[in-house]
Parts: sequence; structure tokens; C-alpha cells
Amino acid sequence: MIKKKFIIVFYWAVLLLLIGLFFTNDFGLVDIHKTSNIVAVGVDAEGEEVIVTAQVAVPQPSQSGDNIQYTEVQGRGLTVADCLNEINAKTGFYPKLLFCKLILIGEECQSEDLFRILGCFYRRNYSELTAQVAMCKGRAQDMLSLPATISPENNTALQRVLSEELKKSANVSVVNLKDIAEYNYSVSEACYMPFIEANVQGTSEGGGNGDNVGGESGSQGQGGQGGQSGGGGEQGGQSGQGGSGGSEGGQGGEGGQGGGGTQGQSGQSGGSSGGEKMEFTARKTAVFAGGKFVGILDEQQSFALNILKNDIRLAVIPCDAKGTHYTVGLKSANGGVKLKVDGGVPKLTLNFKARAQVQGAKQVLEPDSVMFDDVVKQEVLNAAEEEIKARLSSLTELSVKNNCDILGVKSLLHKYNHKYYEAFKDDILSRMQVEYKIDIQSNN
Amino acid sequence: MRMRISVRQICFIMLIYTAVSRLILYPTLLSYQSGRDLLFSALIDFAIQTVIVWSVSFLCSKTDKTFFQLIEGTLGNVTARIVYGLFALFFIICAVIPVFEQKVYIHAIFYDTIPSLLVFLPFFFFAVYAASKGFENIGRCADICLPVFAVSLLFILVMSFAEVKWNSFLPVLKMPLKSVLSGSVSTIFRFFEPCWLLMFMGYFKYKKGDALKITLSYAGGALIVLLMLAVFYGIYDEIAASRQFAIAKISLFFPAIEVIGRIDLAALYALEIVMLFALVLNVQLAVHCISECTGFKKKEYISVAVNAVLLLMVIFLDNKFNALHELWSSWMGIVFIVFANVIPLLAWALKRGRND
Amino acid sequence: MVTLEKNIKSVKDVLTSQDIIVFEFDSLQGRKFAVIYADGLADKQLLGELVIKPLRDAESEAGYEEVKRRLALPEVKEGKKIKDAIKEVSDGNAVLFIDGEKDFFIIGLKNPPGRAVVEPPTQVVIKGPREGFTEDIKVNLGLVRKRVKSENLKVKMLKAGKKSDTAVAMVYIDGVCPEGLAERVEKQIAAHEIDIVPDSSYIAQFISGKPRSVFKRNGTTEKPDIFCAKVCEGRLGLIVDGSPIALTVPYMITEDIQAGEDYYANSYRSTVIRLLRVLSLFIGIFLPAMYVSAQLFKTQLIPFQLLLKISSSISGLPLSPSVEMFLTLFVLEVLNEASIRMPKYVGLALSVVGALVLGDTAVKAGIISTPAIIIIAFSAICLYTTPDFVETTTTLRWIFLIISGSLGPFGVVLFSAFLICYLVTEQSYGVPLFAPFAPLIKNDLYDSMVKANMFTLNNRPEVFGLKDKVRLKSK
Repeated sequence: MIKKKFIIVFYWAVLLLLIGLFFTNDFGLVDIHKTSNIVAVGVDAEGEEVIVTAQVAVPQPSQSGDNIQYTEVQGRGLTVADCLNEINAKTGFYPKLLFCKLILIGEECQSEDLFRILGCFYRRNYSELTAQVAMCKGRAQDMLSLPATISPENNTALQRVLSEELKKSANVSVVNLKDIAEYNYSVSEACYMPFIEANVQGTSEGGGNGDNVGGESGSQGQGGQGGQSGGGGEQGGQSGQGGSGGSEGGQGGEGGQGGGGTQGQSGQSGGSSGGEKMEFTARKTAVFAGGKFVGILDEQQSFALNILKNDIRLAVIPCDAKGTHYTVGLKSANGGVKLKVDGGVPKLTLNFKARAQVQGAKQVLEPDSVMFDDVVKQEVLNAAEEEIKARLSSLTELSVKNNCDILGVKSLLHKYNHKYYEAFKDDILSRMQVEYKIDIQSNN
Repeated sequence: MRMRISVRQICFIMLIYTAVSRLILYPTLLSYQSGRDLLFSALIDFAIQTVIVWSVSFLCSKTDKTFFQLIEGTLGNVTARIVYGLFALFFIICAVIPVFEQKVYIHAIFYDTIPSLLVFLPFFFFAVYAASKGFENIGRCADICLPVFAVSLLFILVMSFAEVKWNSFLPVLKMPLKSVLSGSVSTIFRFFEPCWLLMFMGYFKYKKGDALKITLSYAGGALIVLLMLAVFYGIYDEIAASRQFAIAKISLFFPAIEVIGRIDLAALYALEIVMLFALVLNVQLAVHCISECTGFKKKEYISVAVNAVLLLMVIFLDNKFNALHELWSSWMGIVFIVFANVIPLLAWALKRGRND
Repeated sequence: MVTLEKNIKSVKDVLTSQDIIVFEFDSLQGRKFAVIYADGLADKQLLGELVIKPLRDAESEAGYEEVKRRLALPEVKEGKKIKDAIKEVSDGNAVLFIDGEKDFFIIGLKNPPGRAVVEPPTQVVIKGPREGFTEDIKVNLGLVRKRVKSENLKVKMLKAGKKSDTAVAMVYIDGVCPEGLAERVEKQIAAHEIDIVPDSSYIAQFISGKPRSVFKRNGTTEKPDIFCAKVCEGRLGLIVDGSPIALTVPYMITEDIQAGEDYYANSYRSTVIRLLRVLSLFIGIFLPAMYVSAQLFKTQLIPFQLLLKISSSISGLPLSPSVEMFLTLFVLEVLNEASIRMPKYVGLALSVVGALVLGDTAVKAGIISTPAIIIIAFSAICLYTTPDFVETTTTLRWIFLIISGSLGPFGVVLFSAFLICYLVTEQSYGVPLFAPFAPLIKNDLYDSMVKANMFTLNNRPEVFGLKDKVRLKSK
């Protein structure tokens, strides 16, 4: 009886305690009212310090719940965590990174070790490794404040150019925090991320997919970039270095656009303050080896990297056959990298298979030939193969030249040819023979 | 003797509690110790345990007596009480690391920001209540847990599979043997299932083929753990050792999460119910052993005492989890080898026979 | 010689109320009679036509045997003790005294005012019988007899309530009902002495064994078809005079997710509906709690775009998420209570005040957010998919809400584990409440969350451990 009474009293006591906690909210350290949901983070380096710009979704009172405004809050410190603490102190909001979908690294961070910038996001329990990472031209804080043409929200526009759909068309090398860490901590010690650029509407470099190849579009790109950011800077040089391997017609434009530096920033800021809407592109790729910045892959090299690394649904490539310019769509694409050690010589094979379909041609189609248009002519297929081969070889050369194992050759050696690993691990990139197996067939 | 638990329920316990108690830090620690050969480390431990589980379940076919009665019949009542007293202590030791593990897991997965320690303490109310219940309750909880476990784990695995890179394990067995073995040895304190079976002995009606069923259930649990390890390492590869709370981290990359939010959390919360029952099983068995040892039948009071010990440990050793883990994975492993491996085999030396 | 006056006085000394009518009359031969009955309870028309008229018109000497022969009524008993006469009059029957006779006749003329047999409002069906129990035990037993004509159908009449002396009919099928169950139930009812038993819920508490529990230990139904089906499955039914709700034991929680219509509809449809009910049950109980948990402790539980909408809706609210939800739920419960108690003609006004004035204005005034109202409304709708379980589920919803607001999602999970641990060992007359899930009984699963076709369910529930297992035998 006493036990029963005790249990009843105990249950009542627990209930009262819970009700007390319920109304006082003692355990709700950070509830929705006190939280700021960071949707994107920009990180810039300035001397010893880093500057973190958090793009925060700030809900405004509204019955329908449609009133969301985005604002940028900045923090400064020696580490990213310092900056977040400063943001907390400045705003009174606890910055939550759980919903952060994008980490944007400013161009100036190229001189820093990548993991000095990103390390905080791995250490902290409160950010997910699903956040996409990208480097941007100029300062990240400026990029996050630019108004976009395709969406009223800057972060939505930025995320759109890093979408899965674009990844499947080989236009962007989308990666997240996990991918970067995985690549970097693998034996290859190389990683990459998309490089985002902002262009004033209508001056964007290149129009459709792949039409940027060649002098025509290259000059267009040059104009756009030149107007926006000027040239020069450390990265420009590096980019040019990378680009030289490609030796494509469009590279002329690369040198000019490989800007950065102060002028670029002010250009972007000017764009922002002037309210001019910008278009974002992320068709270039920033490459790192051992956590250090190596260079920027141009669109063609990025395309080559993407067809080898990603599952491609429909890629588009331009090519010239018998003096006519064609735009060829590549379906059922299948690319990959293989390494075999044959007679003591490492052999790297870059495979790419796809079904081709002509999507556009710079010629008027005769009515009689309409019904045969679905069958891609052999010369067009050959031209497409050549184009892909050129892009792949440009990528490989860059990789070898900078000793940046972006294709994961060392990993392949380690995983599939382990007995040769010790022998080749230091100089495999320079010793390997590269073979290209490209097979493009007509879709019909 | 009253049969309080069925073979089916024992099989469920062996299948699901074996798996569910190794989904939080075990994959991370094994990745740290054994790298890409983590599956072999786990396999070594599971193979040994499966043999011992088979041995104990086969012993059950030879007698309908409880383990206590077997010791009593051979070595006398006092020895039986001492052994049960030691087993009670062992089960408390078994519960320590999982309780701490649960605490950090709950703080990380159930809360956005690190909450007060107090948030975890209500667990002990539950543990007091559950541990005062008998084997019948344990068995029926396992009945409920099976579908919950199956559905939620399947859900999480389906969400994870697309992200797994199966070549992460290459090259196979190229890690130093020492690291593979150290992975096995340092996690030996997580293997104590044969002792559960030892305690259930005599409380279920053995039928022909039951030993095989129980052993296969345990092997099934082991397979689930191996699959989980493979998925976890296949997703995180080189950085697996830095990713804690494996089960909560593998489904993050499912594309639909971007659109519909963390639906995996629903499965994780459901799985947490099963984890709680698995965790409390050691406490329940500790209470059972003390009850047998002392002859004191009011399990509520024993349960309060046992949980009070665990509660005090959680409060006073709140920030000492790493040190405790270090201790458990080093020389404390010997205790586990003795109780979970040696004693179950030695049980064959006891006089068997049937109750009248 | 016992005089008529003496008998009348004996009764009237005890039953002094003015509604106890004494009607004295003579036969043609001059023999004196008196009929005593309770006004409003006995059928006066039958009394006049079948008792008073034949006796008054009797030309011969109306002796005791002759009177007995002339009473053309099926329900006539002889009484000897005045105590019995008093009891029968109170019960609604009439008592006939004959001058000079010590013994008397008890005439079954009980006809208390009552409802007709109508469709019960709590268990409406689209397909299936629409008859429902009434407050009259005789009518209810008739409805049962109408459906089960077996000679093994046993009805044992019990009494409960010191003052009310309420009739309780224990209905079971001999040979199908588990052995000893009837005796146990009878013992438990007899073990409690209470002044009055106005409703079967009193009996439900007597037989529950755990009156403090949130979970009931007996099934309830207002429909005779469901009652009969349950009795035929091996359960024991209890019909209480004055209550349209019949009880059945043993009880399992799955019974409450089953509806009568499930058995009349296609089994696939029934399965889908049952799963829907289970899902609704979980949503109804957990949704408000998880919403509060998400806002206070784990925002990731809400998809990001929705979170932004919610953040926008709640920004500027003066209340914390937990208090807001508490208040909204409180308003819902008040509205619910008021809508049941209020006269029907005020109902419309209540809807307007409740839905429009309170809801809309509170949102516009920025006291409560739109999502909170949506969640509470949806939760309420969900819980009413299992109306028999609603007493328990609404209580659980409150408990989970308080726990989630104080301890967060872990509290919710922990309390769920506690409930499972509690429920798996709870029993109703030896049958586990959580059967057929714990202990797992494979064959009974076919009529739990799913509903198999009739031919799969050819056996009675295994959990009862019946000897006569077969329910359906096809030739």
C-alpha cells in the first residue's frame, strides 16, 4: 500500500516537473526563435584572418509564411569557428549550419590550405557533409550579395548553377564536403570544386553548351570578363598555365578572364550596388593537390573531368566536321579511368562511350535530308571523338604538369595494382602511358 | 518450471539486439583501428562468438535446468550465488559503455545544440521500470522490436545504398595484420551475447533444431552488422574514422532529403526504441542475477540500486567517456573474454540433467 | 386470514412515494383485488386489458387458481414475501394482491420509457447493419438473440448497485468462451458494492483490475452485430441495463482499430483502411509533440522550405512553441467538450465562434500561428478515425506534448519505449493487450493491422487458447 502510494506521488512529482520544464523551456537551449538558419556561407581570407559571410534566412511575420528575407552577416577571426561566434555575438542568433547548402570560398583563399578553411565544417557536429563547396571569382562575400537574374534569391541562383541536372550534363563538377575530404585524404591527395563566376546579364561567356569553343565565343567571353573583372593576378597566371595545356582556340579568352584580385571584387560589388542583375556560371573547376590550390580548369578540361567522374545523362559537345560546325548531344554516356601495369609500365586508359545525336548545325538542312538527320554521319562522329580526346588529353597534361592527381591515378594504383604501389607511388603521373578509348556511335 | 520466454523471442533478441547495439560508435572505432579491413576485424569477433552461442544453445538441448541450477547441482548453492553475483557485476560492466554511447548519440542526433546532461537522465526511469520486469517482458519487447527494427533499418539502408562505393575496401587485407587484430581485440568488450543465452537457459522449452535457429539468428545479426560496416565504410571511405554515429550518417546523401527533409530521422527515432531495449537488457539481466544471488524477489528495489550505480557513473564520469572507453578496450577486455567466452564453454563441465 | 389492506399497507409503508399507485377493484362476485405498480414504469394499458378487465368481469368465484388461469400474460410469477413484491414494483412490474390470500402474483408489465432501436451515433456504417443497442436490457438481449440462435448462448443475469439494483446480463457461448472466464467476471462484479450503476462504464472499471491505467481492459460496442461477432469469437459480453454500450472481455488493443464495416467490405479495402487508421493514430498522437520538438530541439525534423514558412508564421508570436501548442490543444479540447454538451441549436453558433472567431482572429492577432492550428486540427481528425480508442489517445497526446516540450524528441522516444514495455505485459483476463504482436501470434495477425479474407480467418483467435477453434468450415 505504501509502495503504491509512493508510486502515485512519484508519478505526480514527475508530471509536475515536466510541466514546469514545459512552460519554462529550460532544456530548449536554442529554439526556432533564437536560431538563424544559414543557407550559404562565404569564406574569404585576409592576411592571417578569415572572414565568414553567412547568408541567413530571416523570416518576417506573415500569416501565409511566405515572407522570407535573406541577409548577409559577417564575422572575422582566425578560424571559421571564431567568425561564427562573432556572428552569434553580433546578432544574438545562434548560427546553425544544418541547413547550409553551399560553402563558397573566395579567390583569395587560394593561398591558404584548403582545410584551414574547410576544417571547421568537418569538426563541428552541426554541419552536414552534404553542403556543396565551390570557389568563386573575387570575394565570396561579394558573390553572396550579388542580385541574380534567374531568381530573386542569390543563394537559389548560386545553387542552381551547381544543380544535379547540370552535373549530369557534364557542365559542372559538383562536389560536397564529403567528396572533397574523401578525395583529399585518399592516396591521390587531390580534389576539385566548381569555380563560380558572375557575369553581367547578356555578357556571359558563351551561350549554349559547348558553343564557347573557338575564337568566336572566346572573344565574347573575353569581352564579358574583361569588362567585369579585369585580368592578371596570381590565379590568372595559374589558370593560364592550366589552359596552355589545352591549346584550344578558346584559351585566348581564358587568359583574359582568369582575373581575380581587387578589381574583380570591386567590379562585382559595383554590380551589386548598382542593382545590375548577374548571371552565374560554374563551368570551370578549381583544382587542389595536398590541400593547396593548383589552378583552374577551363570549360573543356572541366568537361573532360566531368565525363570521367560523373554519371552523364546528356552532354553536349561542339565539333567541326568538313568545315561545318555541329553541336552533338551525347546520350548513354559512360566514362571512366582504368590503370594497368603492363610490363612494368603503368598504363592509364581513359574510356568514354556514348551515343550521339546532332542537336544543331551551322548549315541549312535540305528538305530531302531531314529523314536521315537522325543518323549521325561518320565524319561528325569522328570529329566529336577528336574533340573529346583533345579535352581529355588537355586534362591529363595539366594533371601531369602540375603533379596533381585529379584523375585519382594513385588511388587506382593503390586499389587495383597494389603490388606496384610502393614502386610507382611517387612518380606514377610522369611514368604512366595514357591511352584514350573513345567510342561515339550514332544514336540511330 | 514456468517457461517465460520462447525460442522465437530468443532468436529475435539474438538477431536484432546483436545488430542494433553496434550501430553507433562501433563502425567508427573499427574504421579507425582496422581501416578498410574493418570487416575482417568484425568477422573474427563474430565467428568466435557464433561458435560460443552455438555451444551454449546446444547445451540448452541437454538440460532443462537454469544456469543457476546447473552450478548449484555441481558446485553447490553458495558457489552458484557467487557466480551469479559476479555475473551481475559483469552485466553492469557490459552496460556502462553502451549507456555512455547512447548519451552522446542522443545528444548529437536528437538535439541541434548540446543539451544538458539532464535530458538523458530520464532514461534511468525507463531502465528502472524495464529492469524490474521479468523474462516474459524481455521476450515480448523483442517481438515488438523486430518489425520496428526491420522496417527502420531497411529504410535507412535503402537510402544509403546509392552512395556506397564498393571499391573502398580495395586492396583487401593489405592493412597490417596487427591493425586488423587490434580492431578485433579492442572491440571485444562489445561481445557478450553468449551470456544472455546462459541466463535464458532453462527459461524456455527447447525443441529439436532450436540450437541451430538461435545460432543462425545470431549469425544473421552479425551479417547485418557486417553489412552496416560495409555501407558505412563504403560511403565515407578514408574519412570514416572521423564520422561518429554511423547509423545516423549513412542516409544523409539520399537525394530526396534535399526536398522532403530528414525523413531518415523518423527511422532513426524508431530504431532508438530498439536500441533502448537492447541497452536495458544488460541491466535486466544484472537485476535477475542479483535476485538469484540474494534470493531477494522484489526486483523493483534491485533495479533501483543497479540503475543508481549507472546513474552515478554517468553523472560523475560525464566527461570521462574516452578514458572509460580506453579502459574497456584494453585490460577490461580480459573480463569480457572470461565471462562471455570462457565461462559459457566451461558450462559444459557442469552436471546436466533434467528437472523432475 | 390476511386482509388486502394489510398487504397494501406493508408495501406502502416501504414505497411511500406518490408515484406508487394502488388500484383496488372488485370482481362481479365481489372478490377484492389490488394492483400495485410504479407509475410510468409499468404498462397501464396491458394492465387494464389483460389483468383488471378479465378479473373484474369474472362471473365465477375468482379463487387463487382461477385468477392464475385468467391472467393471460406470459410473464406471471407467484410471490410469497412482501420484500419481493416491493422489489418487483420498484423494478417496474405490477403486483396483484387478492383479498384473503397471502401469496400474490408478480405480473411482468415492465415497460419503462426508452428509445427505439436506432443507428448508434458512435459507430455509423455505410455498409452493414444499422441497429444499435438501446438503454433497455431486454431490447438489447432481444437484439442479441435475434442474431445468435444457438442453444449454447448463455445469458446469466447479475445485479449490481446497492440502490439501483441494475441488471447486468453476462452473455457468452458455452463451449466457446474460455473456461472459468464467466466465473471470474461474475466474481469481480460481485466484489464491488456501489450505490448506483448508471452506465456500463462502472462495470468496466469493476472488471478492469487496473482502474488507474490509461488503457482500458475491455472492448465496447453499441452495435449488436459486433457484439455477437465478438461473443462468437470466444469473448464474454456484458449488457448493462440503462446503458447502450455493451462490454466485451478479454480485450486486445487491436480491437479498437477494427471497425464493424471491415468485415462487410472487401478485405483489400479493409486492410488499406486499417493501415490508414493505424497511421492516423500515430499521426494524431505524435504530430503535435514532434512539431514542438522540432521547433525547440531539432529543426531538421522539418523540411527546410517548410521550416522557413513556419518560422515566418511564428515570428513575432508572443508565446513559445510549446505554450502555443498547449494553448491551441486546450482550445480544441474546450471546443470539443462544449460542442458535445451544448444544446444542438447553439451548436452552429459554437462552430462560428470556435472556428472563425477564435481561430481566425487568434491568427490575425498574432497570438497563435497558422501551422499550430493546422497541426492540432489534423491531429484531432486523425484520432477520430479510431473513436473507441479516443479516450486513451487524447490523453496520450497530452502526455506526449508535455514530454516533447520539456525533454524533446528523446523524451518522446523514451516514453514510447516505456509504453511498449508497459503494454506488452498488461493483460485482460489472461490475454495480452498487445496480442497478436506481443506475444507474436502469426495466425491472429491476419485480423489485426491487416484484414485477410474470410477463408483465411477460418479459426477463432488463437490467443484465447480455445478448444473449439474452428469458426468457418467450408464443405
